[in-house]
Amino acid sequence: MSIIDDILSKTDMDEIRRETEENYRQYVNPFALRMFKNASLDIIEGKREGAAVWDISGQKYIDCVTGAGIFNVGRHNKEIVEGLKKALDTYDMGGWISIVRERGLLAKKLAEITPGNLKYSLFCCGGGEAIEVAIKLARGHTDKTEIICMENGYHGVTGFALPATGRDVYKQPFAPLTPGYRHVRYNDIGAVEEAITEETAAVLLEPIQGEGGIIPADDKYLRDLRELCTKNEILLVFDEVQTGFGRTGKMFCAEHSGVAPDIMVMAKSLSGGLYPLSCAVFTEEIAEFLMTHPFIIINSFGGTSLACLVALATIEYIEKNDLPGHAAKMGERFMAGLVALKGKYPNLVLDVRGKGLMLGMEFPEDSIGPRMAYQLKQNGVISIYTFNNPRIIRIMPTLVIDEKEVDFVLEAFDRSLSEIAKQEEKTAVR
Amino acid sequence: MATGDEIWEALADFTDQCNNNKRLRKMQRDWTKVLHFKAVDTGDSFTMKVVEGEITKNDKGTVGTPDIIVETDSETMCDMFWGDINPTQKYLRGEIKVKGTQEDVMRIDVITAVIWPEV
Repeated sequence: MSIIDDILSKTDMDEIRRETEENYRQYVNPFALRMFKNASLDIIEGKREGAAVWDISGQKYIDCVTGAGIFNVGRHNKEIVEGLKKALDTYDMGGWISIVRERGLLAKKLAEITPGNLKYSLFCCGGGEAIEVAIKLARGHTDKTEIICMENGYHGVTGFALPATGRDVYKQPFAPLTPGYRHVRYNDIGAVEEAITEETAAVLLEPIQGEGGIIPADDKYLRDLRELCTKNEILLVFDEVQTGFGRTGKMFCAEHSGVAPDIMVMAKSLSGGLYPLSCAVFTEEIAEFLMTHPFIIINSFGGTSLACLVALATIEYIEKNDLPGHAAKMGERFMAGLVALKGKYPNLVLDVRGKGLMLGMEFPEDSIGPRMAYQLKQNGVISIYTFNNPRIIRIMPTLVIDEKEVDFVLEAFDRSLSEIAKQEEKTAVR
Repeated sequence: MATGDEIWEALADFTDQCNNNKRLRKMQRDWTKVLHFKAVDTGDSFTMKVVEGEITKNDKGTVGTPDIIVETDSETMCDMFWGDINPTQKYLRGEIKVKGTQEDVMRIDVITAVIWPEV
């Protein structure tokens, strides 16, 4: 029996849990285990399907985190899984020194579905790595050094990406960081104007701040930003890692404003939730820098045959099933329910916002986000607060969620808010 | 219900445990904060000053501008300082209220996780 057979054949759930927790305690991260257990989020995933995930004990949850947008096509999408299985009969990852047929096909497809003149693609494994590529391209192409990015933005925690992330707690222990990053207020065109210098290479932002608290950029702000960047010969870079592939009701969030960036970064759902892949897509003009500097990114695992096949199947599934349209429809249903809850709990819910199925609910204080996550778990829903703003609980289910499941989540929110309202009342009385 | 003296005694013990734990002080070396603790049933309050991971001063009453305010009943506060409860679980169930950032809540949990890993 192989180790895989051995792992998959175990059926004693108590033993699996004991063994897994002990391995985490001893060899992975005991503090992470403690955090998961404290928050009652110590789910060991078993079956995964559609909008739901089951703990190994058989308890079903609607997944409203989805890895912050990894599983747009649903958990363990059967069509894509079958495609990957077929490919595995012949393929391995492919040698990185070879010309990869599937990479060419995927790059062509991305050029077709991305806005404006985006054309060339460089592939990596994670979102942060693709942000690094975008920043290197921006600096290389413009021969300038400064990157304007946003307060509370999140772009990853690796070398060139970390300084762009707009929150000190991620950065403080690791100074000195790569210099040349200036953070400005989000949705404030005047702040960007003031930050521009002769050294500005690019403006980098998420069209909806995810970890910052599900904050959509105003369409006018994005259009003004486009104009400002063009006028000053500055590149506009959109981080669509969380917002891409139908999440907001369009294939890419940029489409809502009609603004095309010069570089677009994508990851998460490009993987189909099955095989890691990220990429930066950019214009032909920017691609010229690669002729003289072809090695701005060297990696073993970016854009492998298997990853690109899965990405092509993922995009095919999204288009065939009109997931952006479905996300818009389910998003409307969610929003109507969330607005009603805001009316029902006016002291607890300050705001509900978002686009499509990238939604957030804002509370008056930091502690309520984590407490809501705890309560939602008791009511059959997995969710978590946004990492740069714990006052906001995110609602980012798969894009295959149906009406009944949306209603189930809304009921879980109602019950959870009711419990927290009782807790608050108790504290106030004391 | 616990008296103010009992909480003060528990706080002193907690302080000794923290300051005598080299591993904890190293882990928390970049944490400098003022914490206010308020027992909502008795009205007792306390101030703890942490400088680079070391508790440098405790006061009865609230002193200075707090970075973090912890509110609970006197009994739970005593239990928290004696290590008889998991404060993060109480926090998530709304029995301990913390006003401050989520990072600071996690730092408080680190303290209890290191001193009382079994709780």
